[in-house]
Amino acid sequence: MVSLNRFMSLIKGVTSVSFVVASTMATAQVKEIRILESGGPSGESIEAAYIKPFTAKTGVKVIRESPTSLGKLQAMVQSKNITNVLVELGSTNLFLARATGLLEPLDWDKIDPDPMFPEAKIEDGFGYQYFSTVMAWPQGTKKLNSWADFWNIKDFPGKRALPDYPAYTLPLALLADGVEPEKLYPLDLERAFKSLEKIKDSVAVWWQAGAQPPQLLEDKEVQYAAAWSGRIVDNPKLDYTYQQGLLQVSYFAVPKGVDPAQKAAAMGLLHEMSKAENQIVATQTVPYTGASPDIQDKLPADRLNQYPTSPDNKAIQALADPSWTASNAKELERRWQAFKLGL
Amino acid sequence: MSTIITRSRITPTMWMVVPLLIVMAIGFNLPIIMMLAKSFVQDQSFTFANYIDLIEMPVYLKVLVNTFKIAAITTVCCVLLGYPLAYWILGLSTRWKIICLAAIVVPFWVSILVRTYAWIVIMGNSGIINRSLLELGWIEAPIQFLYNEFGVVIGTINVLLPFMVLPLFASMTKIDQRILSAAETLGANHVTIFWRIFFPLSAPALAAGAVLVFILTLGFYITPAILGGGRVPMAANMLDLLINQMPSWEVASSISVVLLALTIILFMFYLRFTNEEKAR
Repeated sequence: MVSLNRFMSLIKGVTSVSFVVASTMATAQVKEIRILESGGPSGESIEAAYIKPFTAKTGVKVIRESPTSLGKLQAMVQSKNITNVLVELGSTNLFLARATGLLEPLDWDKIDPDPMFPEAKIEDGFGYQYFSTVMAWPQGTKKLNSWADFWNIKDFPGKRALPDYPAYTLPLALLADGVEPEKLYPLDLERAFKSLEKIKDSVAVWWQAGAQPPQLLEDKEVQYAAAWSGRIVDNPKLDYTYQQGLLQVSYFAVPKGVDPAQKAAAMGLLHEMSKAENQIVATQTVPYTGASPDIQDKLPADRLNQYPTSPDNKAIQALADPSWTASNAKELERRWQAFKLGL
Repeated sequence: MSTIITRSRITPTMWMVVPLLIVMAIGFNLPIIMMLAKSFVQDQSFTFANYIDLIEMPVYLKVLVNTFKIAAITTVCCVLLGYPLAYWILGLSTRWKIICLAAIVVPFWVSILVRTYAWIVIMGNSGIINRSLLELGWIEAPIQFLYNEFGVVIGTINVLLPFMVLPLFASMTKIDQRILSAAETLGANHVTIFWRIFFPLSAPALAAGAVLVFILTLGFYITPAILGGGRVPMAANMLDLLINQMPSWEVASSISVVLLALTIILFMFYLRFTNEEKAR
């Protein structure tokens, strides 16, 4: 153990030397920043809508890396080798990262944002993208109007697909059981799992990747699925409703121990993300909207309600509470795995 | 390992391997050791607490047991399918041997993701089989082939069968035909020759192939995620969850230590079988 410790401290020494070299080079002048994001169309929308105007204004190049994960953030902070100044995190992961001390507060004065929804503007997270977990089905299937319908196998026959993530599926189970959207949190776990027991035999797939539910619906593997809105609304073969959708926010956060000059430059990129007109550009690549409450004036009326943050849609959805989910993450996961083993 | 090193003498060209060994040690072995060391650390002090957690949380052990169960089923099926297949190919003409071996090797060039999704097209709820049966009126509702253990096992067998057939076939071709002829001249019938001569001679390769298939199944990730429909938890998926979602690296690392220890024990068996084969 002694020799191992010496060995590890040697390694730490080597990495911290390289970190010092890297950071002194960076402070001289920030010419490029690296961000860690989800990749796919979402990443392309960041490129087109936010990075392009940012680079045009400041001359700072932005290099996108993907996919993001809480594990990568933890590895960066613990090795004291911060390679990405901005890291995209789901809302629950943002609160988990905060609890583990992986994040630095944002400099909101420097970001100087345009108007934003309050839940998107928090100390250490910039909410840049809204997405909703909604009910979806192939065109021609009987329409659903509530999670109670989704749970009703008798009147709406067919196989189901639900997310293999308790943070998404447990609130849906409670909505199906009649809990009011604004009284969802703290989640009543007993009631949620009891509600899941009623439907579990009809759930063919507990999906892990967002690409799965649209594919399963198109192939008629399942008749109804809970899916992420951005994967559904542009698909002409599928139908959906925002009714009782579970609204969530994706954030950008800054890893603890980042070089200050890099961080200052990154705040400029976040400013671009707060602008309604840039968010509209992003929707042309991926049908997710940002945190601006002013998009309705800038979007054509027939497209407005495709997006989760339109005034109509925001009113009929439930807002997830990531801070509760994060502080109960271990318990949720333990009970979720136990439930799944009993399938 | 030691048996191999003691047998083969160190040659002057060994230094050519040194750069590779250094890269492997720094780039692969060291990070693994550091990761595994995490399992003994909590609040920066040495502890067994992570292992006690592991024992006290039946969920983790159940997933490990489930993983070994899937691996065992896959291994048995690969043996039952692979051995007759290899034996059958052995008796073919050279031309058909090449065609059959090519048919076994070609799927290696197809992405595992595509091969896994292909099973949905074939055996899914609205796949070819179910739609045909429905059209024929033989069934009223689709048979659920996938999204359960059966689906996962189909996927693992599909990927791993070549790992069984190819070494087995190679070993069978090395069996000296004269021994079989000698047995025949002494009056043994074909069944006796197979069971008393051919099978024992091919058994080490069969055992080695079985252990290889078993070990490889333990690390499967895509197949249970897609063909298991999220209903068949396996170790790799659980580790992904603990590392990327939770992050409880200490628990993940203690599970990895258990998995690695069991795999090394199995690997020792594998080496023993392959050495027996070489010694022949």
